[in-house]
Amino acid sequence: METVTLTIDGRPVTVDKGKTVLQAAIESGISVPYYCYHPGLGVDGSCRVCIVKIEKMPKLQTSCSTTCADGMVVTTRDEDVVKARAGIFEFLLVNHPLDCPVCDKGGECPLQDFSYAFGPAESRMDFPRRVFDGEGVKADVDFGPTLMLNRNRCILCTRCVRFMREVEGDAQIGIVDRGNGSEIATFREEGVHSLLSGNLMDVCPVGAITTRDYRFKSRPWDNPNVVDTICTRCSKGCSTSAWLKAKPEWARGSQLIRMTPRYNPAVNDYWMCDIGRFGYHWIEGEQRLRRPMVRRGSALESCAWHDVLPKVREQIQQAGTADPSSVRFLVSAHAATEELFVLRQTIDGLMGADARGSVSLTWARSEKTQPAGTRFVVPATDAPNVRGAHDLGFAVGAGHDGAPDLGALRAAVEGGRVRVLYVIDPGPDGSLGDVAWVAAARRAGTLPFLVVQGVVRHDLVEAADVVLPGATSTEKDALYTNDQGMVQPSSRAILPPGEAQEDWRILVSVARALGLSLSYDSSDAVRVALAAAMPGTAYAGAGAVTFSRPIPSRNWLQASNPSERWKWDFMFQDLPPVKGHSVQMEGVPVKDIIPLKPTQA
Amino acid sequence: MSFHPHMEYAPARFHKSERVLADDGETFAYTPERQQAFDEVVTRYPADRRKSAVLFALYLVQQQQGYVSGASMRFVASQIGCSTADVEDVATYYTMFYRHPVGTYVLNVCRTLSCALLGAERVVEQISAALGIKPGETDPSGMFTLIEVECLGACDRAPVVMVNDDWHERLAPEQVPAFLDGLRTRGAAALTGCHLHVEEK
Amino acid sequence: MAYEPVLTRYVREPNSFTLEHYLQHQRGYEGLRTALGRAPGDIIEQVKASGLRGRGGAGFPTGLKWQFVLKDTPKPKYICCNADESEPGTFKDHVLMERNPHLLIEGCAIACYAIGAKVAYIYIRGEFYHVQQVLEAEIAKAYAAGYLGKNIFGSGFDCDVFVHRGAGAYEAGEETALIESLEGKRAQPRLKPPFPAVAGLYQCPTAVNNVETLCNVPPIVLNGAEWFAALGPEKNGGPKLYCVSGHVKRPGVYEATMHTTLRELIYDERFAGGMLDERPLKAIIPGGSSVPLLLPDELDTPASFDHVQKAGSLLGSAGMIVLNDTVCMVWLAQNLLHFYRHESCGKCTPCREGGDWLYKLLQRVESGEGREKDIDLLYGVASNITGKTLCAFGDAAATPVLTTIARFRAEFEAHVREGRCTIPAEWRARQPMLAGHH
Repeated sequence: METVTLTIDGRPVTVDKGKTVLQAAIESGISVPYYCYHPGLGVDGSCRVCIVKIEKMPKLQTSCSTTCADGMVVTTRDEDVVKARAGIFEFLLVNHPLDCPVCDKGGECPLQDFSYAFGPAESRMDFPRRVFDGEGVKADVDFGPTLMLNRNRCILCTRCVRFMREVEGDAQIGIVDRGNGSEIATFREEGVHSLLSGNLMDVCPVGAITTRDYRFKSRPWDNPNVVDTICTRCSKGCSTSAWLKAKPEWARGSQLIRMTPRYNPAVNDYWMCDIGRFGYHWIEGEQRLRRPMVRRGSALESCAWHDVLPKVREQIQQAGTADPSSVRFLVSAHAATEELFVLRQTIDGLMGADARGSVSLTWARSEKTQPAGTRFVVPATDAPNVRGAHDLGFAVGAGHDGAPDLGALRAAVEGGRVRVLYVIDPGPDGSLGDVAWVAAARRAGTLPFLVVQGVVRHDLVEAADVVLPGATSTEKDALYTNDQGMVQPSSRAILPPGEAQEDWRILVSVARALGLSLSYDSSDAVRVALAAAMPGTAYAGAGAVTFSRPIPSRNWLQASNPSERWKWDFMFQDLPPVKGHSVQMEGVPVKDIIPLKPTQA
Repeated sequence: MSFHPHMEYAPARFHKSERVLADDGETFAYTPERQQAFDEVVTRYPADRRKSAVLFALYLVQQQQGYVSGASMRFVASQIGCSTADVEDVATYYTMFYRHPVGTYVLNVCRTLSCALLGAERVVEQISAALGIKPGETDPSGMFTLIEVECLGACDRAPVVMVNDDWHERLAPEQVPAFLDGLRTRGAAALTGCHLHVEEK
Repeated sequence: MAYEPVLTRYVREPNSFTLEHYLQHQRGYEGLRTALGRAPGDIIEQVKASGLRGRGGAGFPTGLKWQFVLKDTPKPKYICCNADESEPGTFKDHVLMERNPHLLIEGCAIACYAIGAKVAYIYIRGEFYHVQQVLEAEIAKAYAAGYLGKNIFGSGFDCDVFVHRGAGAYEAGEETALIESLEGKRAQPRLKPPFPAVAGLYQCPTAVNNVETLCNVPPIVLNGAEWFAALGPEKNGGPKLYCVSGHVKRPGVYEATMHTTLRELIYDERFAGGMLDERPLKAIIPGGSSVPLLLPDELDTPASFDHVQKAGSLLGSAGMIVLNDTVCMVWLAQNLLHFYRHESCGKCTPCREGGDWLYKLLQRVESGEGREKDIDLLYGVASNITGKTLCAFGDAAATPVLTTIARFRAEFEAHVREGRCTIPAEWRARQPMLAGHH
């Protein structure tokens, strides 16, 4: 890649050719504020706050729209720039309500942060502010099924407009009227109806667009920890972040407070879909399985792990001895690679590799309603690891419609040829696809014994003889292989509820109960074995994969998304502590929070 | 209207915006002649740039029903092949599209400097007084809508009034009553017309 | 020797707009025929040599603009004629299009040939519907006569000219906003670079030229670059249309060379013929509402791009608004800021927010409610807009405030001191609030 070298504030900066001055500044940790610029969207140049002085150019230039050139000399802290920038901040705040204490963006708001850093000490505006839909809470108006819009806070950066046009593909958001009366709007206030709507909250640099799911629920400083996860709601495998709310031990309610996309240029860029973003509540929901259960008559009763495992062993051994093919596994493609690997070892060890056909892989499918020109396609396969199962040598039978082909298993179950069906289902309700016929077979008496290793109390659980509570993807370190064949690690954000266990551990326990000598004591150990078993494949490095532990969220953006790094750079380096940081940091020396770059110390 | 496939949506539960929307109006379609006009004008632009014809499409709507309604914007979107929001975005930007029914004669009085120097402010006052309406309003008879507009580009004929698509020039404040009467009785024929035509008359 | 108008000589004759008249009296389409016999590059060189500067306001050399149009590209190229004439005080293109449309049509065709375009769009403001009707009828006649369409004069050159109607937006007169509007979007400016010459209409190489500019092209081709350059002061050659309005006896469009002084344009019998009712001149806006005021002692400035700029203002669109002693400068600034606030496209922050703020401040000062510090605040806010906006609109909007305070600060102070406007005029509204209604 060709590079160019320019000077910004006296520092030589070398960047790839074609980058803008703003990108060069961001990459080298030099603070330049911006609103209309977003790395995932086209350049607009409308907010004007990123102006800098460039030698040999007559006027101040917007750095977002100026391409770097060799020898260019850029100043961001010169008096002219400081004054002009402060003037623009004054304009931005002329009509912006200072309702930060009740605004959801408060604490992670670029307008708040940049204004502290670059804005004027006070505004000279003494006319009433422009008000669109009423003051205070009345200003929060319906913006479709997932969003609310507050036009009073909007600074018309048009990131949302451009997101819909450029990424979503259906330009549902426009501006109505013009000049000082311009408003962000959908046609006749119909609202945004998009599978990608949640990204609009991310791109909004103020609290104008908020999600119904997250608004009023938490504050950034109450979500101190964040974990790098992979979304498992479909085969795309978006990089995501699970945000954890800090709460006292006695407090009720969930820990997972929101899901946001994590920049990954190879998969999802800066985006994720609403299914992943909003579909996490079930993880800490009422329907979660917390203890092992066994059937006593018509009811399932809780019991201890050491009571339930012998029952499973007994049934499998009896059936396997009589007819090995009468023990079958129905495995959701939500099962992580570690789990599939332990399962493979178990089958190979007990019945031989030829018996891998006893495993039927299943998943749900749903065609997504998206505009034809979308740049972010959400796949129809609603499971993260179909490819992983295939890579591990399991038969992945799919019909022409892309749905799993379970015909043979179903015929065997309905024909009474299956004595034990072991279901592994660490996904949300419905992720097994259409398996009503299993419960029907149980009721009809053709399926004598049903084990469900799952996470949610759904219909199949109700029909089971033994229920083993497993862990969802956010509750374990696990690998998933997306539809491009990328092996991606998803880190544990929270612990499995109650006595539930990570699925690989349950499978190891079952294998050992059946007499196999598996000795894994951690998922790391499983991955080391996996790597050793699959040399020369994408899994050969599995043993060395590292998983993130909850990291302080104040560092998260810096670690994961260089384009948003300014937030933290500014807040902790440029400000005297008395002005107050968005994130509560009182009394903590700056250098302990974030390592200063040598040139900035 | 598409619906979010995964979220329950009960809009009635939330605050609605106070934004003043265009009247939705009745289901809209061009008359055959206007459809033909649109189909012809759209060929002036590259085939993948039909959006260029959106202003023309909106003018046709306004010609046909006097204003640009919600229903007509949906129609235009389908003709152009763009989103309805894109049409509303454009229709609300330009001042010559009305989003509500207007009077038979829309009196667009130029209020910018050159016209103001020769009495445009007083012309507005006189029209307001004569019709009992403020700028932006339509008189009770439905005949006149008064609008203050910015420079019309005929500053040598100040004060200028654009009446629908026709012009009336050098309208002195004292002449307002006669001007309105002329429109009532003779319609557009009462207007001076434009510019050098004036000298010819 | 009396100057013989080139562009507007016949505009007062009843049939001046017809093809027959044009062919008979103005060597109609001879320029195009001549041009087609030469290489496109020669035409560009000739226009460069003539020194023709854009008549829309910026005064940028037209030949250079054409030369910058990207040549090595498989994309089509376009001429966009800026007929969005909306700068307050400007009404010259109006006359040209209505009374001498074939001159523009011929200019468009030559321009297309010069840059290698096959299509010219004339973007005409929506309010000029009557002008558009004349123009479209005459374009149809030009097609019928073979001056437009396929294989013009058997040269193999094809050229289409289409009229595109705007719908009420001053900002559409900014060249990139005009392109956006032509593409069916809001008339909002684009970032430059890329300039239209590289990525303009439909992201194709485009030259955007004002009506009067293009009307000068056929005479240049016919009479030569030297003839054109010799018509005016150095670098300010050619015929120029001046729009004189406001408090003068005979407001109108006058054609002259750029030797002509502001004083002549106001007082000479060949032009506006003196001040209305013989009242004294207070100030003049020489180039449309976006340029600084000049005072009576600056009237001997020749009305050329360079001389007016040297005098501290700009020739702009040559829209001269003449103000007598009944004009309150605070009122004037308020009137113009009403315009700029109304016409701001709203895209960039300083113009969108600053224009409205300035208007509110001016309203307060004009009505007598202002405070001493408001005057400095006005100046400060206007200065914060200048040079910070995406397009030139911001500077234009700030100018009326900066120039009136710089030159007539005492009037602002009097408003604050007296609590009212001290220069009432009978032509102003009796109820000030109504005039400010929005």
